[in-house]
Amino acid sequence: MNTLPLLLYAAAGVAYAIHFARRDAAVGRTATTLLLFGALVHTFVIGMQTMEVRHVPFANPSRAVSTFVWLFTLSYLYLELTTDERAMGVFILPLIVGLQTIPALYPGMEYQDAVLDSPWFWVHVSSLLFAYASFGLSGILGLTYMLQFKEIKKKHLGYFYTRLPSLQVLDVMNSRAVAVGWVFLTFGVIVGGVWTAQARGIDPTDPNLQAMSLDDPKIFVAMLTWGVYSFAVVARRTLGWSGRRAAWLSALGFAFAMLNFLAINYFVTTSHTFY
Amino acid sequence: MHLFLLGVSHRTAPVDLRERLDFSSRDLSAAAEAISHRPSMSESVVLSTCNRSEIYVASSDPAQAREELVAFLSDYHHVPAQSFQPHLFALENSAAVAHLFRVAAGLDSLVVGEPQILGQVKEAFQTAAGKQCVGPVLSNAFRWSFGVGKRVRTETALGGGAVSVSYAAVALARKIFGRLEGRRVLVVGAGEISSLTAQHLRGQGVGEIVITSRTHAHAEALANEVGGRAVPWDSMINALGSADIVMTATGSQRPIITLPQLQAAQGHRRSTPLFIIDLAVPRDVDAAIGEIEHVFLYNIDDLQSIVEENLSRRMAEVERAEAIVNEEVTKFMAWQRSRTAVPTVVALRQRFEAIRRSELQRLEGKLGALSPEARARVDEVTRLIVEKLLLEPTEQLKALPDEETQAAYTEAVNRLFRLTDDEPLDYARGKRSESPKQT
Repeated sequence: MNTLPLLLYAAAGVAYAIHFARRDAAVGRTATTLLLFGALVHTFVIGMQTMEVRHVPFANPSRAVSTFVWLFTLSYLYLELTTDERAMGVFILPLIVGLQTIPALYPGMEYQDAVLDSPWFWVHVSSLLFAYASFGLSGILGLTYMLQFKEIKKKHLGYFYTRLPSLQVLDVMNSRAVAVGWVFLTFGVIVGGVWTAQARGIDPTDPNLQAMSLDDPKIFVAMLTWGVYSFAVVARRTLGWSGRRAAWLSALGFAFAMLNFLAINYFVTTSHTFY
Repeated sequence: MHLFLLGVSHRTAPVDLRERLDFSSRDLSAAAEAISHRPSMSESVVLSTCNRSEIYVASSDPAQAREELVAFLSDYHHVPAQSFQPHLFALENSAAVAHLFRVAAGLDSLVVGEPQILGQVKEAFQTAAGKQCVGPVLSNAFRWSFGVGKRVRTETALGGGAVSVSYAAVALARKIFGRLEGRRVLVVGAGEISSLTAQHLRGQGVGEIVITSRTHAHAEALANEVGGRAVPWDSMINALGSADIVMTATGSQRPIITLPQLQAAQGHRRSTPLFIIDLAVPRDVDAAIGEIEHVFLYNIDDLQSIVEENLSRRMAEVERAEAIVNEEVTKFMAWQRSRTAVPTVVALRQRFEAIRRSELQRLEGKLGALSPEARARVDEVTRLIVEKLLLEPTEQLKALPDEETQAAYTEAVNRLFRLTDDEPLDYARGKRSESPKQT
């Protein structure tokens, strides 16, 4: 079911690349249309899965990735449609296509457990996925900022200089994406804590709940990620860390987030193993 | 009817002569009107910019048109003909069309690919059209040229990149700050280059332009010119603290902005970008300032090399643009020829239709017995036969490769079918003539 959105995303990715190379407005519009269409089909897929298991599918890692890709695509489309800047698409789409390959190849079964049957849990996961989507955007924005900064600073006005948005625009978009992501990350972590405390009251023997502590790799890396972004938010306001430093921080933070979301989810057994 | 062009441009005439033959300061439409009323010319468009004065006309006798246009230029501008005749260029038909397309594409401009020329060509055409000075020859060629200009701009990078130092500086500022609205500009030195760049920046809607110069009167004069504010030389460092864009162009032999000065002016907490454009030789700004993280320092050589790179990039596109122009000239001429074939095609069709009708009438007696449906069928079938017979010859006539072949074929068709003959043919004068007079 996740294959059709994948194909549409891949087609949009090719269109964004051609648009970037040739700066052809018509191709750019085609790219956006394909992406919109992909997001629409993806919405339908997620809607079907939601009806099937009666909650938004993210208790299984593959489905969580699919939901994350969906949120990420929507966030990017929001950014593109509000700023009318299409140049970022060429950097965003490989990430979207790469991640969407996971649920397309391994659909997985949605895990259902009484312990997850709490509104707290769904708020927790959806906040975090949305935070990751924002961080994904800010990471890419940071990367493109560095590319553009390098060309202007070194006075080699080349390929990226003509194609990428201005430094100011990239920096402002980055700061907004980090701020939004940080709010959702903080909220999601707090909700997770509250929910764990409640769930422990219901079922104190659940091994997952027992393992909920800072020793757990997933929680540890999550707190590290939170630390990086908190620093980014504070440093921008008090130390004037904007521009390239902020760009580095957002790229670093996103690397942590992806490490947690993919590598740790799949390869390290953690407290969050509900499947 | 021929398309004929006579003119001077930066390629053929020195600036003082171009100035004397310039139409733009005078009433262009009156000039176009005066020309189109001459006996040998039926249409005219006058294109006049600082680099060219060109007159496009439709004429049945180009040699005559040339003489009349030379006389007109001499009269109109009060310049003796012999002073400008060696600098004139005259082109006819496809060469004139090719020139018009090249001009519209920006290929003939002094700065290749400059964007204004297409608008100027459009304006020249509209001015002439407003005075009813254009007919089919010029309006087809000019309308086609607008498309060529647009195509060259979208399909090549002929107009890409800034090709003057001040435009390059503004383009860079836009890549750093995005929109320049509300940005604060500090201009140090009030010379000509400062004025030019300040005006470009003003055109981008910058918030405030602060100007300082060792001679305060100069700063004030420039401030009046560009709508800025002059401050005394001593407070330059203060102004530096709040500026986003700093432009320096003084004649100072030693740097006037040094690293300690800038740090003192800005404090250590500043992190918003600062774009410094140093247009002075020797340089006004200490090169070490460029090492600061948030400072983008460009000197005149950096900007000059951007301009040169952009120019060479444009030159690399010239070949592609010329190819597009040639392709369009070929297409346009083919289209023109297909249009000249139209009268022959129409006459041929009329002749065939007349034959068909007269034959149907001749057979009226035999067909009379048929039912109305069958009559309609016979009418339909004969019409289709005529259509099919004419389909291929029509296509062939429209697609002839050049004017000579076109003339030969037209002549042959006219002769074979007696198309120019006004007398009806024998078979058309059947027993029952179709002409109402004869009944």
